[in-house]
Amino acid sequence: MKPTEDRGARLPESRGVKLPRAERADIGLLLEGTFPYVYGGVSSWVYQIIRAFPELTFAIAFLGSRAEDYGGLKYELPPNVVHLETHFLHEKQPPPVLHARDGDAQAFATIERAHRYFRTPHAHRADIAQVGELLGELSAGGRLSESDQLYSRRGWRFITESYRAFCSDPSFVDYFWTVRTMHAPIWRLTRIADTFIPVRAYHSVSTGYAGFLGTLLRRRSGRPLILSEHGIYTKERKIDLFQAQWIAEHHGAFGGEASDGSYFRQMWIRFFEALGQLCYDAADPIVALFEANRQRQIADGAAAERTRSIPNGIDVARYAPLRARRGQAVPPVLCLIGRVVPIKDIKTFIRAMRVVANRMPQAQGWIVGPEDEDAAYGAECRSLVQGLDLGGQVRFLGFRQMQDILHQVGVVVLSSISEALPLAVLEGFAAGVPAVCTDVGSCRELVYGAERADGAGRALGVAGRIVGIADPQALAAAALELLNDSAQWQAASAAAIRRVERFYTQQRMVAAYRDIYQAALAANGD
Amino acid sequence: MAGIGFELRKLLRTQTYSGLLRAYAYAGIISSGPWVLSIIGIQVVGVLSLSVVVPDVLITRFQVTVTYLIACSLIATGALQLGFTRYLADQLFLGNERRVVPNLNGSLLVTMLGSGALALAAALLVFPEASNLYRALLVCGFVVLSCVWIVTIMLSGLKQYKAIVVIYALGYGVAVGGALALRPLGTEGLLLGFVGGQFVLLAAMLALVYRSYPADGFVAFDFAQRGAMYPSLLLIGLLYNVGVWADKLLFWYFPSTSEAIIGPLRASPIYDTPIFLAYLAIIPGMAVFLVRMETDFAEYYQRFYDAVRSGGSLGHIERMRDELVFTVRQGLFEIIKIQTLAVLVVFETAAVVLRWLGISDIYLPLLFVDVVAVGLQVLLLGVLNVLFYLDKRAVALEVTAIFAGCNLLFTAASLALGASWYGYGFALALLAAVVWGAWRLNGKLNALEYETFMLQ
Repeated sequence: MKPTEDRGARLPESRGVKLPRAERADIGLLLEGTFPYVYGGVSSWVYQIIRAFPELTFAIAFLGSRAEDYGGLKYELPPNVVHLETHFLHEKQPPPVLHARDGDAQAFATIERAHRYFRTPHAHRADIAQVGELLGELSAGGRLSESDQLYSRRGWRFITESYRAFCSDPSFVDYFWTVRTMHAPIWRLTRIADTFIPVRAYHSVSTGYAGFLGTLLRRRSGRPLILSEHGIYTKERKIDLFQAQWIAEHHGAFGGEASDGSYFRQMWIRFFEALGQLCYDAADPIVALFEANRQRQIADGAAAERTRSIPNGIDVARYAPLRARRGQAVPPVLCLIGRVVPIKDIKTFIRAMRVVANRMPQAQGWIVGPEDEDAAYGAECRSLVQGLDLGGQVRFLGFRQMQDILHQVGVVVLSSISEALPLAVLEGFAAGVPAVCTDVGSCRELVYGAERADGAGRALGVAGRIVGIADPQALAAAALELLNDSAQWQAASAAAIRRVERFYTQQRMVAAYRDIYQAALAANGD
Repeated sequence: MAGIGFELRKLLRTQTYSGLLRAYAYAGIISSGPWVLSIIGIQVVGVLSLSVVVPDVLITRFQVTVTYLIACSLIATGALQLGFTRYLADQLFLGNERRVVPNLNGSLLVTMLGSGALALAAALLVFPEASNLYRALLVCGFVVLSCVWIVTIMLSGLKQYKAIVVIYALGYGVAVGGALALRPLGTEGLLLGFVGGQFVLLAAMLALVYRSYPADGFVAFDFAQRGAMYPSLLLIGLLYNVGVWADKLLFWYFPSTSEAIIGPLRASPIYDTPIFLAYLAIIPGMAVFLVRMETDFAEYYQRFYDAVRSGGSLGHIERMRDELVFTVRQGLFEIIKIQTLAVLVVFETAAVVLRWLGISDIYLPLLFVDVVAVGLQVLLLGVLNVLFYLDKRAVALEVTAIFAGCNLLFTAASLALGASWYGYGFALALLAAVVWGAWRLNGKLNALEYETFMLQ
């Protein structure tokens, strides 16, 4: 396997390998839960960017939850990654030495005003200066210390007063620990910022914790912060939080006072919104993958003039030869490319396959992607295949190189409940394979073309079908329509090729980032 | 065995005056039972031997020897008493019930070896003129008493007050009976009876423990592992017992207040008699202390931590804190009130009672001071108990260190100042410890939520 594959070479589990270290680098990449320890679209994109700029050196700060959640390196590090450090934010840290204290009065006054801003940014615009001051004091020698938050009498007064003033949930102990759990990574990130090596520009690939680290580093060093958002971090966190079971839920356990945990959920949402806002305030440019997400960033508080969208691009030339390898007949194969995880809604694809197989017994459904991320979900999917008696039709192929399979595929299926700009669809397009996608992320733009002033987006034709999420019937009907009608299939295939070649090439994306990097590296420190 | 708090609450809940009286009487017997029984037991043996054991000095030798055995064994095991009890309580809390007996056996083994070596050395080296039987009994008595303290404090830590009183009554019954039966043998006979009684006491308590707790082994030394016991508790236990005996030891060895009794053992009749009589006056204070601690305080303590743990509102937590503080204040005030009453009663009746007992009037001034002092000692126990409940070990250490240090210092000063000052050293040391403890406790209670949440 060549290391130059788009999705990266699979490396053996390589714990304990010595990570590269350097004194300085050109670009500091701030990566949360992605490259080089996790497979996925964002990781592949990061890998692509690093290799597209061999003349630049990269330093990576990888932020994860806990070390045991990750295997070894999933990608071979390109030689221009000169520095890689890993930090696990949810790992227990030895707490600072415990001792009672009063706490810094001025620091807590700043904290109070800053939190007023975090709670209602629009009503307290004036307090934004305090937020800047707050960030400034968050460093090794600053006025704000973790010990003060954890042990000081002022810290206690602040948390009890905030509880009385704002918390609508009766459980004080849950409020207390929610606040502590929430702030623990902030202190971690502060220490990480204290020691990260000097670089000429920071590039964060999400808001959230990585974005906050970027905010801190940008403030301290004066070097520019570039933000590329694939999904919308804050929105994804909200989805997680609404599914989260761990948020405290007391049901009248004490004195009839009941808690449904909703206040704590709101706290967490506001927390991530505040992190996002701070990052938007510090970053320039703020890059979205597609127009809808750019609008969302503006709605979430990003300054419109700093936003822009740069779609993912792929190396179309690599997939072009596959078009010829496919015969005249449309292969009766539906292929879902993606990790076997709930967000991809693999089960809807499997249910749709039942409908497809009823009408087209020779049809095959392939699921291409690693199953190790959520083994329980993988097992559920396999048992669903058995339950629907699709053993002969649905196959789990695991991780595969796209060049080896796309010429055998009739339609690329994407049943996800959330996506950004899926590379799998672009790769399919490059190989001339139409796509049937749920209406998420940029899928509508990919299939129908973007609304553009010059009309060039729509004019290229329709490259597949868009269906609603969790609708196996519609998904099956759309796929069958393409597979059964050669003329429609050919038209969609041609539109797919035209669209990817016009708007989604790697050259286009790299050129856009070259401009961004050049501007950032040339910037004078401020 | 139902908890003592449960029985007391049941008695109090009857809401009648007699129910209330019964609760307090019950608590009085239970809380000061062992203490009073041992004092009375020794005195009874002395009084009933008066015409049989001749000369009287043989009786005095017995009483002084027993007093030394008790004092030295309490001091020697002071550290282990508290540290080990807390270790066992933690094990029970963690559900390791089966570790209780093996570790008790382990600690008793350690105690036996340590106290045995100590007593043997003393018997061989500093009692060259005493009889072999006396020396053997000295060693046996010291070892058995040391074990008795460990098991007693363990049982009271486990709230088995009623059993303790019953077993103490049995043990001292045997001791008194045995001593009287063996009177013809003189000092050694009396001592043999006493040690025999202590042995029965120890055996009965152990039987109760062995029956109550299933064990998964015979002997274990988990308690002695690094970090198993709190060093601060070891120190507190030692300092408290040093504090209790410091003034007596000084009086025993100050030339003008003491006389030689047997071997190196000296006694101070003018100091000892009043203080032991005074200790009988703590019964009401101890009763109030037990009732308050085991009912209201324990209840609000539980409610406070329930409110903290199970998601109570901050307002509710604070209300529980206020209630807790109220019960502590209430309890301490009630001890003060009842002990003041006891002091007044003693002031009024002491002269008559002493005359009736055939004790000289010259003890009266010292007795008055001592009655106030032991009342303060009950208060000190109350303060320390609250501190232990709240796990404020550092403060408890300060308080016991002040107690021990001041008792040494002030008693030495009182000896230097002359007879009219005797007893004030002990009383002032207790006053200093109580005032400091109450002041620190007040601060800790005011900051209880802050410390519970932020400094745990």
